Amino acid sequence: MTNRETAAVELRAVTRRYGTGERAVTALDRVDARFEPGTFTAVMGPSGSGKSTLLHCAAGLDRADDGQIIIDGTPLDGLSERNLTKLRRARVGFVFQAFNLVPALTAAQNVALPMRLARRRPAPGQVEAMLAEVGLEGRAAHRPSELSGGQQQRVAIARALVTRPAVLFADEPTGALDARSGAEVLRLLRTAVDRHGQTIVMVTHDPIAAAHADRVLFLADGRVVDELTGRPGAERIALHTAQTEQVAPRTGAAFR
Amino acid sequence: MSAAYAMVRHRFASFAGTFVAVALGVAVLAVSATLYLSSQPQAPARYDHAPVLIQSPRVGTNDYGEDERRAWTTAEATDLAQRLAALPGVTAAVADPSFYVQRLERGRATGDATAARIDGHAWSSAALGGYRLTAGRAPARAGEVVVANAAPGQRLDVLTARGPETWTVTGTADGPGFYLADADAMQRASGVRIIGLTSTADEALVADAARALTGPAGDVVAGADRNRLEPEGVTRIRWIGAQLLIALVTLGAFATVFVVSSTCALSAAQRRRELGLLRAVGATPSQVRLQMYAETALISLLAGLVGAPLGAAAAPLLAAPMVGAGLEPAGFTATWQPAALVGAALLGVIVALCGVAVAARRASRVPPLDALREAAADPRPMTASRWIGGLLGTAGGVVLLATMPAMPLETQTTAGMGAAMLLIGAAALLAPILIIPLVRVIAWPARGTAAGMLVREGTLTGVRRVAATAAPVLATVGLTVLLTGTIATIEGAVGIEESAEYPATTLLVPDGTPGLSEKVTTAQRGDAELPTRVLVSHPGGITGYHAAGVTGAPEGAAPPSDIPAPPSDAAAAPSDAAVPPSDAAVPPSDAAAPPADDAAPPADDDAAPAEGAVLHTETADELGVRAGGTIALRWPDGTTADMPVLAVEPDAKAPITLPRDLVRAHDPDALTSLVVLSGDPAPGPGAEAVAVRDFVQREIDEEGRLVDLFLWALIGLTAGYTGIAVANTLLMATAARRPEFRAMRLAGAGTGQVLRVVSAESLLATGAGALLGAVVAGGSLFGMRAAVENELGQPVALVIPWGAGTAVTAACAILAVLAAALPVVRRP
Repeated sequence: MTNRETAAVELRAVTRRYGTGERAVTALDRVDARFEPGTFTAVMGPSGSGKSTLLHCAAGLDRADDGQIIIDGTPLDGLSERNLTKLRRARVGFVFQAFNLVPALTAAQNVALPMRLARRRPAPGQVEAMLAEVGLEGRAAHRPSELSGGQQQRVAIARALVTRPAVLFADEPTGALDARSGAEVLRLLRTAVDRHGQTIVMVTHDPIAAAHADRVLFLADGRVVDELTGRPGAERIALHTAQTEQVAPRTGAAFR
Repeated sequence: MSAAYAMVRHRFASFAGTFVAVALGVAVLAVSATLYLSSQPQAPARYDHAPVLIQSPRVGTNDYGEDERRAWTTAEATDLAQRLAALPGVTAAVADPSFYVQRLERGRATGDATAARIDGHAWSSAALGGYRLTAGRAPARAGEVVVANAAPGQRLDVLTARGPETWTVTGTADGPGFYLADADAMQRASGVRIIGLTSTADEALVADAARALTGPAGDVVAGADRNRLEPEGVTRIRWIGAQLLIALVTLGAFATVFVVSSTCALSAAQRRRELGLLRAVGATPSQVRLQMYAETALISLLAGLVGAPLGAAAAPLLAAPMVGAGLEPAGFTATWQPAALVGAALLGVIVALCGVAVAARRASRVPPLDALREAAADPRPMTASRWIGGLLGTAGGVVLLATMPAMPLETQTTAGMGAAMLLIGAAALLAPILIIPLVRVIAWPARGTAAGMLVREGTLTGVRRVAATAAPVLATVGLTVLLTGTIATIEGAVGIEESAEYPATTLLVPDGTPGLSEKVTTAQRGDAELPTRVLVSHPGGITGYHAAGVTGAPEGAAPPSDIPAPPSDAAAAPSDAAVPPSDAAVPPSDAAAPPADDAAPPADDDAAPAEGAVLHTETADELGVRAGGTIALRWPDGTTADMPVLAVEPDAKAPITLPRDLVRAHDPDALTSLVVLSGDPAPGPGAEAVAVRDFVQREIDEEGRLVDLFLWALIGLTAGYTGIAVANTLLMATAARRPEFRAMRLAGAGTGQVLRVVSAESLLATGAGALLGAVVAGGSLFGMRAAVENELGQPVALVIPWGAGTAVTAACAILAVLAAALPVVRRP
């Protein structure tokens, strides 16, 4: 590991267990991972591989039982719930599979929400510009129920990006969308990386979605078992996915 | 706050419960506070033209904390008034004696009995109210009167403390009251307690001058202080009304807190995912909490804006019923009280914020990950605090019940009541675990049908919803059954006890009057005491005592019922005259009262040494005197006397017992409460003969009427809030179950079937709650009866208020079915 600039997110030997005693499940088993600024990483793996847990822990939504998580140079361990929230608000953006928006608020209000929560006033035109960037000019006053699923995801992306976070976590952002809307969402994410140097970590099980990423991490049984870099194509990713699921390795060692 | 506003606007349905509860709460607060503030002490209108008044000197306070004042004698009052009249700026200083007068129409007393107690005045005091003659002339001799609504020359039948009289109207006044010639009025009144000044000068200057002149001989009041002169009877009425209003405010506030807190808890549980999202995108726990507070503040402010005007509009409508129920004095009107409305609205917000506190705390602990959970399942209906509270309540209730037999008799009923309340509260807290077995049992017969299965399973899986429905029903039905049952049982028992006190079969009691006149009383064959109040000086100060004037020798003061013959003799003797003292000329020669014969020679002279008092042991202890000593007492007419203490008796009927003639001579305005008849009643105006049992029942009913009024006002309010809680829970819970119903429809159920299932579920929940409440309260009632029986030493009939319990249950059930059906019928 070379001594480069600070990683956007870094996981060091992170372990997360659910339950206790006999029925304890280890969702993450001493995972190390590093997400460099301005990169787009896809995290893949079969169901139960721990990919969602990895995302939740890395994003500070869930606490690790062991190990260290560092977001933009700030270690999460020891942070109070309040300070953790503030860190999340300032440095982390989220796009979930569904239910990203507060139903009572308009698209513009939803986008402005993180800033409002930080007691900051958005700069004039900032929210509108953000909405325009995701192709939703003129929809600012619409409520989530008046928007299509794809439009809602785009509002969510606008909200996640408006604070210029150190990292954006996306959890199956296209999972609930049709192919066209999904492609649009992925294009937006890619653009954010290319144009603004945004760091993105995306959990997905869809090789086509993962193909938009610069790098793909494969998880199985709570460990990182494989990694592809350099914008691997969807086919290669699919192949590796199949291997991962086959091997479901007990080895623990990653192979390249 | 803008987010709160958006939230409230968007999810108004889930705030509806809070809104209705707070709006109703604020309305109740606004009505009560408006009535309370409207009901202020007010100087009688008779003193409207007397800017400065002098009260007779205060000597202490009575047991109710009211001022105890000694009266001026006629001479003192006249003298003081004369000197006051000479002050600069004073146009007149008038002693204002007052006494009992009631108009008779066709032999029946008319008008308000309590007010009549002080309706007679001296003509010169009419100036204090600015009342003038509109016709005729002022009264000059005994038997002449000036009144309103009667023409000069008319004959007027009245009832006074002396008895029925016929007066001649010499003039017509433009104000209320009976005005006699001054000397006549002075004779009839028991001392003078007020002197009024009319003046043309600055009232503060006059008041200061009067104060300097009067010194300790009186208290000068001017300006707003004059309102202290409100008649005691009026003050008492307002006090009773205030108790009800205070109870309503307290209960309303508490009930609002509970309804708001349960509504908010349910709404927070339903919004779990949204709260998680807020946390995920950067809301700190305290921001979530603030958000909940802001929403509730907003909704309760809106509710207050609706509730306060509602209350303001309702208050004037309630003024007349309050007067009718004897909770406010005649002539009471609700006035515009902006402070009450603002206060009620603000209190509504505070109360709502108290209600949301627990839910807000819980909401702030929702982890951000809950944003990702599809169904925010909340599988634990029993929280630790429910377990702790429920078990502690049960333990407390059981311990109280178990130790009850060992407690002093008089605290047993209180303990029983406390135990019952604890058990009801505990049952409500433990409802989630008590409901399941109960539902299984109740739904057992319908297990074969599809609907039966759906209902049973729906209820058992939605324990939280069922418990939230059943718990308020449980508490309300429980409290209703307990309170109405306890009061009915105790009222029945008191009837038994009190009728035992009167051995005579018939009583002569007031009929539309505040008491019995002298003439009517002395015309009876029977036994009566003449009640009065004397002030006794002792080393510790001056204390007022209730005293009873009894006929015959004072030592005959043992319970009159024990000696049937002698008092009737003496009482019957003086029927020749309305003026009593002469009857003492007949010595109590009857042998049935032997001790009196030795101790007292015929007493027709106030100074006779053997005339004396019999003290109750408690009185003697308080005063520090024994038989053979003397007490220095002051009569209601302001005169003083040293009274030898003839005896001290532990079972004397009154704190001080005195010779009747002496009491009559020094308290000419005294009225007899009742006569225990030993012969046929001699009919007289303002009196009627009733059997002891009927009289006791009437007294109990009169007392019971107030108790019932209080009870039903409070039960009504509680039931109203239960209704809101039940309706709200079901509305919200059923609305949230729409997907479930959709699935049922897909499975082939028609809307009718869905409705039946939902209705049956809500009925099951209310039924289970009502049953639990009734069982707990009923069990406690049995315990209460045992305690009452112990206390009385005789069996008591247990009154179980089936009607009240059923009515409350039915009301809850109807509301529950409607609230559950509405979201099913009104599909989104």
